[in-house]
Amino acid sequence: MYTELNSILNTSPESFTKGDFILLSDKQSDASFLIHHFLSFYLRAKCKVCFLAMVQSFSHYSTVSQRLGVSLAQAKEKGQLVFLEGLQESLSILIPQDEHTGSQAMNFLRDPKLGLQDLYEFVSSKVKRSCGGEAESEEWGPPVLLVDDLSVLLTLGVTVGAVLDFSHYCQATICSKLQGNMVMLVRCDQEEDEGDNESPACLLKGLTHQSSLTLDVQGLPTGYCRDIHGQVEVCWQRRQGDGQNTQNKLFQYKVHDKGASFFARGTSSAVL
Amino acid sequence: MLPELLKDVEAGGLLIIQDSVRYSGRQLLKSFVKAALNREETVHFIGFEFSEDELRDGLKGPFAKRLHIHSAFTDPLGWTDHPVFTVHQFNAEEITHLIKQTSHASAVTLVIDSLSWILRHVSPSVFCRTLQQLRKGGAVRAIVGLLHADMHQKGIVGSVCHLATSVITVAPGMKAEEAEAKITKRSKSGKVLQDEEIFVIKEDLSVIVQGKSHQTEPIQTGPEEQKMDPTANLTFNLRLSDAERQAKENLSLPFVFSKEKKTALLHSGPSSGRILYEPDENDDYDQEDPDDDLDV
Repeated sequence: MYTELNSILNTSPESFTKGDFILLSDKQSDASFLIHHFLSFYLRAKCKVCFLAMVQSFSHYSTVSQRLGVSLAQAKEKGQLVFLEGLQESLSILIPQDEHTGSQAMNFLRDPKLGLQDLYEFVSSKVKRSCGGEAESEEWGPPVLLVDDLSVLLTLGVTVGAVLDFSHYCQATICSKLQGNMVMLVRCDQEEDEGDNESPACLLKGLTHQSSLTLDVQGLPTGYCRDIHGQVEVCWQRRQGDGQNTQNKLFQYKVHDKGASFFARGTSSAVL
Repeated sequence: MLPELLKDVEAGGLLIIQDSVRYSGRQLLKSFVKAALNREETVHFIGFEFSEDELRDGLKGPFAKRLHIHSAFTDPLGWTDHPVFTVHQFNAEEITHLIKQTSHASAVTLVIDSLSWILRHVSPSVFCRTLQQLRKGGAVRAIVGLLHADMHQKGIVGSVCHLATSVITVAPGMKAEEAEAKITKRSKSGKVLQDEEIFVIKEDLSVIVQGKSHQTEPIQTGPEEQKMDPTANLTFNLRLSDAERQAKENLSLPFVFSKEKKTALLHSGPSSGRILYEPDENDDYDQEDPDDDLDV
């Protein structure tokens, strides 16, 4: 959890807006440090977290989270964290073995045209169980869904429309009905092509319309810099509850071993 | 032109609000809903992108019972067992049936949020046909829809807007609260009116037009200020004394062709080279008189 980012977004583990859909995007840069931030943030806020990790293994996130002061293994044992390790699950589908049929969540690998309804059913079942009224689950806060990342689903053959439908249903269930939050990462590497309906840029536009807050990470326009790793643009898409239209903000950041620091443009400690 | 459209979307008309990720047209859509409710019309709202509670926010009041929201937000594709309204129900027969079930005698305005959602699941030709059937069908007096122009290819956006009688394209304005609207209105006679306006939407969903948008700021024509002396208030001296000014004026600039330079060039001094020229007969060749015997 990066304290400077919390003050930029005006949130803290004790008080944060519910029902938010936070969209992280990056272009020729790596926004996964923000995923680690939100993962540790919501675990500290005692929310029930459902994490769909499609691109890295559990040990990767565990190692990074330990540096941020949160233990994923403990959270998983206590039942606070539901972790879907996409890489492992996909292996069990692509190389089926008799004993292990694999969970239904990754059924889209069998036939991408089916869409992501099974993945939605998986998420919905894990998240609803926390609000089922069981005694031990009452200690956890509102449910949170984290996805890292959505654009990898496009490379696996799922259409942009199916991913948008999946995020719509997740938003309807988690953000609207259960007043939880959602954080999703989309990575766009190519330049936008006007005629291409299936590009990550098209998916990003569709998700931006659905989201309440977007954090767009880009490299510096002037190129590589050792002390400044890139810039983050924070845009509030929907009006806040009191009707204010919050202004967009632009910051530069540097990722350290145990965190990341954010500063206004031109005020990096290396420059001042 | 925006206030006129808010006052009355003409009968049989289709008004499309085009927005983009930079500025959302949903508040303007809600303003149209409120204006229709204030005119004692019945509004049927098909909402795909927001839940019913969020849509009703700002639209409460005595007229709220004339607002019927068919929420397709929770289950638009029928994935659960009890969908309220699905995208597959978007055809002229089902919508007419839905309206007839709940409508009263007053005119019905159909509001759709958003058209983009339906376009993702229904082919554009079927979609346009449905819209046209709804317009001509008689159950609905006018249709207002929100379209996310950057989510579709230009051809699809163009085809859908071609059906519309009015198109409002919204974009963020210069200041935080303001927005720009480009309005195109096609009247029944075939005349096309276009306008660009800057507007602000207040808390109560009323729209205030701030004026026309300018490409450049108008030049300030206030009373002319006294010319400021640039040499005043400096830590070094930039002024000239009289003698200095005289010397400056007497100076002849190096590349100016003055009278003195001209005479110097014409009467070359003793050190310069001299050219001696004796005219040669062969140089006197006249093209028109080669033998030099014409008496001209």
